Amino acid sequence: MDVPGQSHTWGIPGPTFLSIFLVIAALLLAGTLVHRAVSFSGRRPENPGRLHPLQVAWLNGGDHLAIYAALGALRVAGALGSQADHRLVQTGPLPAWATRLDWAVYQAAGQGRRSRELIGDPGVRSALTELRAELERAGLALPPTARTAARVGPILLLVLLGVGVLRLVAGIANHKPVGFLLLTLACLAAASIVLLVRVPRGTRAARTALRTLRDQQPHLSPEYLPAYATYGPAATALGIALFGGAVLYALDPVFAAEAEIRRTVASGAHTSTAGSSSGGSGGGDPGDSCGGGCGGGGCGGGGCGG
Amino acid sequence: MRRMTEATGTTYGVGIGWRPEIAGFVAALPGLRFAEVIAESLAPGNPLPPALAALRERQVAVVPHGTRLSLGGAEPVDPARVRHLAQVTELLGAPLASEHIAFVRAGGMEAGHLLPLPRTREAVDAMVANVNRVQAELAVPLALEPIAAIFDWPDDELDEAQFITEILDRTGALLLLDVANVYANARNRGTDPVALLDRLPLERIGYVHVAGGATRDGIYHDTHTDPVPDAVLDLVTELCARHRPPAVLLERDGHYPPAAALRGELDAIAEASGFPLIT
Repeated sequence: MDVPGQSHTWGIPGPTFLSIFLVIAALLLAGTLVHRAVSFSGRRPENPGRLHPLQVAWLNGGDHLAIYAALGALRVAGALGSQADHRLVQTGPLPAWATRLDWAVYQAAGQGRRSRELIGDPGVRSALTELRAELERAGLALPPTARTAARVGPILLLVLLGVGVLRLVAGIANHKPVGFLLLTLACLAAASIVLLVRVPRGTRAARTALRTLRDQQPHLSPEYLPAYATYGPAATALGIALFGGAVLYALDPVFAAEAEIRRTVASGAHTSTAGSSSGGSGGGDPGDSCGGGCGGGGCGGGGCGG
Repeated sequence: MRRMTEATGTTYGVGIGWRPEIAGFVAALPGLRFAEVIAESLAPGNPLPPALAALRERQVAVVPHGTRLSLGGAEPVDPARVRHLAQVTELLGAPLASEHIAFVRAGGMEAGHLLPLPRTREAVDAMVANVNRVQAELAVPLALEPIAAIFDWPDDELDEAQFITEILDRTGALLLLDVANVYANARNRGTDPVALLDRLPLERIGYVHVAGGATRDGIYHDTHTDPVPDAVLDLVTELCARHRPPAVLLERDGHYPPAAALRGELDAIAEASGFPLIT
């Protein structure tokens, strides 16, 4: 369709540019997905039931849910309570089973902190760091290096996207058809951003362990209205860990409200927010479906690569 | 045709009422062979809740306990409710089903809880007709539970033992004896609970309920949310000395205590009844 004498944008014909562009995008995308598949796999624990409830909580909902699980366990044990001004108070001795995070939360309660301030408390922070390090060693949490590495691919895709945008602008200025390029760029933008943002905190092994635990402990699901006083602190913490912050409202609505617990921190129905990603699981990944479906179609008629 | 004038030979021992709230506690009882579930809490069209299905896989007998049939109502029992009980019984593969000698609605009005029948011949007739309708749908025996009553109707023609025995004789149903009810009724009327045991057809007991209660303003309330008093456990011992039933089941319906306390109650029932510990 090129008329002799008509100048190509950047001296490259549209179809040629688009083909090269698509090949590079597909390679980067495939590389990113393969990297995710490998580096997010983790190590499956022999027995997920041996994981500590606070570890499970961190894997499902990060720092916030680990704190909530500690609050729930200490609450059932009668060790702490809340006041109308949202400050936590100690209401009994620290239980013998307390972990470092339980201890740190208990200490912070003794200082009259509010539950939303716990995340910034130095003792709590250090206990959370330790908790996370344990999980990294166990192959359940992604180490920061792996999370950084997982962002290299999406960043390269964004660079490629930038080149495409320049081409698009130049193509429009040159009065060339740009429909297919525009479509490609839109898909690429969506895939890159999803892959950049959705880097999970836990490995695939961790997500499998969470599913196994939910299957093993159906009675801790909120729909059973669990009798937490009967089950005790450890099971209560596990219930919060597996089924999210809303469990604290079922456990003790007054305490949960006074402590300003956010119901939306994790849930058992589906892993949500930053805690989930489809990783390298192929068809389920938004990036993958676009890589195959959007770039095809060839160049003809109205729109091409600028 | 009279079915099951005597309880079947299987002995189950100590059981517990399965409630979703304590499903994890029940699942962790190693010696459990007998449980009960509120029939209305199950939907026959759906699979059993996973925690209940796990009990069935362990061969724990799970009996549906109806609370809404209103067998003692003057009007015929609602066929849809009867069908529901029959379907739930089948879903559970239960060896028997149970309901109350009581009414929960009259003239279209829902009472919301179990009300005692006047102990008249007319009430017996109505009750028998409804029990027969239920038995026609059920493939397994039906056990009937007399309820606690804080008052007596003024026009009673039969005493409690006569009333219960008459219904059982005419329907061939089993007896679900609530020992805590027997205690509550006797205590609140100032009569001897053991004397009532001696006048009931104990060989017809399908199983026994034991529950906790509390005394308020001089009246003993069969609350199911308090610990089982020693006097009720003593009555279990008296009963088992006369005729030990196939199963003795703890009914706890709320205010669930820590697991250790609940296990203690089950152990106390095992000790009182002479059954093995299930904890």
